[in-house]
Amino acid sequence: MEILVLVKAVPDPEARLRPNAAGTAPDLDGVKWVLAGYDESAVEQALLLREAVPDSHVRALAVGPAPRTEEVLRAALALGCDGATWVEPPADLAIDPLLAARALAAAGRRSPFQLVLVGKQAMDDEAGLVGPAVAEHLAVPDFGPVVDLRWDAAGGRFRFARAVEGGLERLEAPPPIVVALQQAWNDPRTAKLQNVLRSRRAPIEKVPWPEVAAALGDRRARSVRTAFRLPPPRSGAKMIEYSTPEEAAQKLVRALREEARTFP
Amino acid sequence: MSGGALVLGEVRGGRLARASAEAVTVARRLVGPAGSGTVTGLVLAGAPAAAASELARTGVDRVLAVSDPTFDAFHASRTAAVAAAVATERSAAHVVVGGTAAGRELVGRLAARWDAAAVTGVVDLVPDGDRGFRAVRTVFSGRAFEEVRLEGPRAVWGTHPLAFAAPPPGPEAPVEARAISGGPSPVPGTAVGFEAASNASGPDLAEATVVVSGGRGLRAPENFHLVEELAGALGGAVGASRAVTDAGWRPTSYQVGQTGRTVTPQLYVAVGISGAIQHLVGMVGSRTIVAINSDPNAPIFKVADYGVVGDLFQIVPALTAEVRKVRGA
Ligand SMILES: Cc1cc2nc3c(=O)[nH]c(=O)nc-3n(C[C@H](O)[C@H](O)[C@H](O)COP(=O)(O)OP(=O)(O)OC[C@H]3O[C@@H](n4cnc5c(N)ncnc54)[C@H](O)[C@@H]3O)c2cc1C
Repeated sequence: MEILVLVKAVPDPEARLRPNAAGTAPDLDGVKWVLAGYDESAVEQALLLREAVPDSHVRALAVGPAPRTEEVLRAALALGCDGATWVEPPADLAIDPLLAARALAAAGRRSPFQLVLVGKQAMDDEAGLVGPAVAEHLAVPDFGPVVDLRWDAAGGRFRFARAVEGGLERLEAPPPIVVALQQAWNDPRTAKLQNVLRSRRAPIEKVPWPEVAAALGDRRARSVRTAFRLPPPRSGAKMIEYSTPEEAAQKLVRALREEARTFP
Repeated sequence: MSGGALVLGEVRGGRLARASAEAVTVARRLVGPAGSGTVTGLVLAGAPAAAASELARTGVDRVLAVSDPTFDAFHASRTAAVAAAVATERSAAHVVVGGTAAGRELVGRLAARWDAAAVTGVVDLVPDGDRGFRAVRTVFSGRAFEEVRLEGPRAVWGTHPLAFAAPPPGPEAPVEARAISGGPSPVPGTAVGFEAASNASGPDLAEATVVVSGGRGLRAPENFHLVEELAGALGGAVGASRAVTDAGWRPTSYQVGQTGRTVTPQLYVAVGISGAIQHLVGMVGSRTIVAINSDPNAPIFKVADYGVVGDLFQIVPALTAEVRKVRGA
């Protein structure tokens, strides 16, 4: 089985977040770029499938600038991906999720695949647009947010569940499909040191930009961030003073009703 | 951007999903004051009548109802194809999609199909001069806000659940039965069953206006009913920390946090939860946060609005009783 897993470099989710001076974007000075969250789980899911299905290969695919995009592709290789493909747009071209999806689809189309795995959303912009948009451009069905993805060799199809309101919707679908993964259902592995070292020298395939540019046409990023800000700091909890549990309950309910106005 | 808007009416259990009514609120603001643009509703289902009539009472100008049982199972590719065709036919400038699991999946697919700009998780709209509106949304797990301007003649807007009020029911707009030109496309997957989550009796975590979550402080699974009773009294959903789901006290569908669900209710009550960063990222976007913890230095108090330092085994039953008394239940 040929598996493509789409990944994105995101600022370390544990790092402190602050806006730039203009308040238009996060200040990314000195930030560490990582493969994280749902993307990390997508890689893990791809590797689990490869272990379960003989003669499978996993290729990580990313679009984005140097050096961070190359770094997360190397992180994916270090985790065990067999190959990596990189689409590097010209430095002056702004990329939004839908433009990224067109670029990824153009790169994905270059070789056959049975499965495209993607996180249900990136840890930074949380847009969740790329997976479904890539599927549309590749003209294959997409499913998300998915848990419990398996390959049914006898039936020649995938079995999985969509995590929807109120429960899990069990589905089966033949390849090729695009699957957007809901994390939490697997615990990503960590890279072994020797694999990290090996991944530093591994080749990364680069897609010639003109090939991608042809798929974009004259489209440009149509979503433009005009402001970025942190929520007003919470001033710390107002502590309820009390002498009995009943008094604590009464004071809390009164505060929720009269001050916060969020009592249902 | 001006011009008309299309709103997707999602059908759940025969009824209109609340998120779709919330989407109408956004559509009405996007098209401007009455008379400046029309809002069309679209319902695709085997038996669309009840949901179509509910949608028709939310302030839309008309509803198109497609009766086709193959749409009872959601497939983004098929819904996107129909929605794009209808939006083009009606020369709509906007399509608005409610913040459900299906809605989240639909926005990107539809935007690609319709060659439109798109934004998901919209929590507010701010006027943007003669360009219409900018979308406000949360990013970085609720740790920051951004404003986004959508450029070009077409835009798909995905709302965040509960961010906009659903319009109160009004007079019913005309409902028109529609067939799909060229017939429906093949169904790409087969639904083989549905497993209701064990916390499915109340509202879904992501849609609940109140969430009460329990942590390791509850000590044992048999004490979890304390959290469930408080959630029940508040009419809310039950969540849990990873300590609880890892220990198998509750399934992973309950988990709130980095590797679980993200929730943004009006009221979040953390019971016996320390407030690890991986938990906080799943709930800091909540309007009001209450923490009940015996440790006055627990990090959860740093993000909470109200704190009760004390033994949850005493505080929670008293709180449940007080809530029942006040809410008359
Ligand atoms: C990669 C990664 C991802 C993770 N993802 C998640 C996630 O999605 N969600 C998540 O929740 N966690 C997640 N975690 C785990 C997280 O780091 C914490 O371990 C977890 O949230 C702790 O759960 P807890 O607060 O219930 O338990 P604890 O940290 O053990 O806290 C228990 C609290 O209960 C209080 N307590 C004890 N007895 C009482 C009493 N009688 N009355 C009142 N209070 C009492 C204690 O003071 C303490 O503060 C993740 C960790 C990692 C490494």
